[in-house]
Amino acid sequence: MNTSFDIWLWVSAFLTLCIFSFLYKDNPFYKFAEHLFVGASNGYLVTIIWHGSLWPQGIRPIFAEGNWWLIIALIIGMLYFTRFFPRTSWLVRIPIAIVMGYGTGAAIPATIQADIMRQIQGTVLTPQNFARWNAGSTGVIWTVLLFIGVTCTLSYFYFSREHKGVLGVTSRIGIVFIMIGFGAAFGYTVMARISLLIGRIQFLLGDWLGIIQ
Amino acid sequence: MKGFEYLLKIDRRIIYLVIGVVVILPLIFPTVERVRVMAPAQSLFNAVDSIPEDKILMVDFDYDPQTMPENEPMAIALLRHAFQRRIKVAALSLYVQPLALALKALDQVTEEFNARAQTSADSIIYGRDYVLLGWQPPPIVPLLEMGISISNVYSTDYYGYRTDSLPVMQGIENFNDVGILVSISGGNAPLWWIGYSQVLYGVAVGAGLTAVSASDFYIYYQTGQFSGLMVGMKGAAEYEELVESRLRVPGERKASEAMPSLTAAHLAIMVFIVIGNIGYLMRRRT
Repeated sequence: MNTSFDIWLWVSAFLTLCIFSFLYKDNPFYKFAEHLFVGASNGYLVTIIWHGSLWPQGIRPIFAEGNWWLIIALIIGMLYFTRFFPRTSWLVRIPIAIVMGYGTGAAIPATIQADIMRQIQGTVLTPQNFARWNAGSTGVIWTVLLFIGVTCTLSYFYFSREHKGVLGVTSRIGIVFIMIGFGAAFGYTVMARISLLIGRIQFLLGDWLGIIQ
Repeated sequence: MKGFEYLLKIDRRIIYLVIGVVVILPLIFPTVERVRVMAPAQSLFNAVDSIPEDKILMVDFDYDPQTMPENEPMAIALLRHAFQRRIKVAALSLYVQPLALALKALDQVTEEFNARAQTSADSIIYGRDYVLLGWQPPPIVPLLEMGISISNVYSTDYYGYRTDSLPVMQGIENFNDVGILVSISGGNAPLWWIGYSQVLYGVAVGAGLTAVSASDFYIYYQTGQFSGLMVGMKGAAEYEELVESRLRVPGERKASEAMPSLTAAHLAIMVFIVIGNIGYLMRRRT
């Protein structure tokens, strides 16, 4: 056992234990750590945004380097603060409209290409898709299974007709695929949460107490 | 049947205690658990390994302390791989919070290599072998503009040096000079690199993901949009295994060391699920 004498490790360990204490029940130690986290995060963010963005990319270029045209962007950005004043709060629509317009314009083609077109291409039964599984001759089986899964799942979400006959069969198969998907997602969620727990235990037993190397 | 009723009402604190015990014991009494490398991690390793000399590995650090146990071992293993192969690295972040963690990972791996180095040529030197480009808000700016010019987006690096003056950035103009971009993230950042940077400029993208988001990302690996993946702590352990077994790079393997605990915890949860279902079925019968 080789316990650390680093004061910050002790602070970190204390706060970790404060948060873990919520597993028993809500208590003042948990509340203390929670509020400290929120306050420290906000303070850190404000400082970093000032030093990393607002000063080097806004204030300094305008007032120290003479890029006066940037003042237009700064004023538009400042309009977000008009929200705090009822008489001028309508002005906040200007920066929101600009951000939404730019963001939507950039996102739509990207989404169509990356999320729709490429996914359709990846579902089609082609030799290229068979080979993509790196599974030899069984690549055909996986691709067909994927094709059945996608089409049956899509049919489940087709609500313009009653789910009877062929549509009833395919939608029921679709439910099976959806449930398998939920199961996989749940399994991964468990893995993720346990991994985070392990990370903290490694810190407590390793970095702090020195029980594990 | 009262016993089965009890199965459905196990105090959650007992479950926490059991999970705690099965996680802690394998860490205190470690056992050797072989890590089997799966195709997504192998593909990523191969993609990084085949980066030509004139191109760089771009690493997007987009994880924060909340997902650090999963993402940090990925970053460490990836950097060990790159530095061992003398692949030039440009690190960045789309958000501000991960910058300190990027710096931590870069410093750790640099110190590991420099502790073993005999000469300057063996050492890993900032500016020559790697650069921390920093953070450029909003995220859409680096995602789109680096396809035109990296040094225009990051005119100065994290420390304030002009990026076009750094030896590591000589000959590196835009995404055409990036061998692969690996986004290590606890969120959706890897999808943005695909949606914007890959669609527009064709840059190859790999990802290190938290397990919770894995099922959303696999479809992009299947279509070839991701060149490779590290999924959760298991993915990190696979990459650690590849780096140590193929490249003989020694070092702490936090993800691999956690595998027995992860396995034990999974088994415990499976047992609890089975117990809960038995209790449910027995209650329905009565």
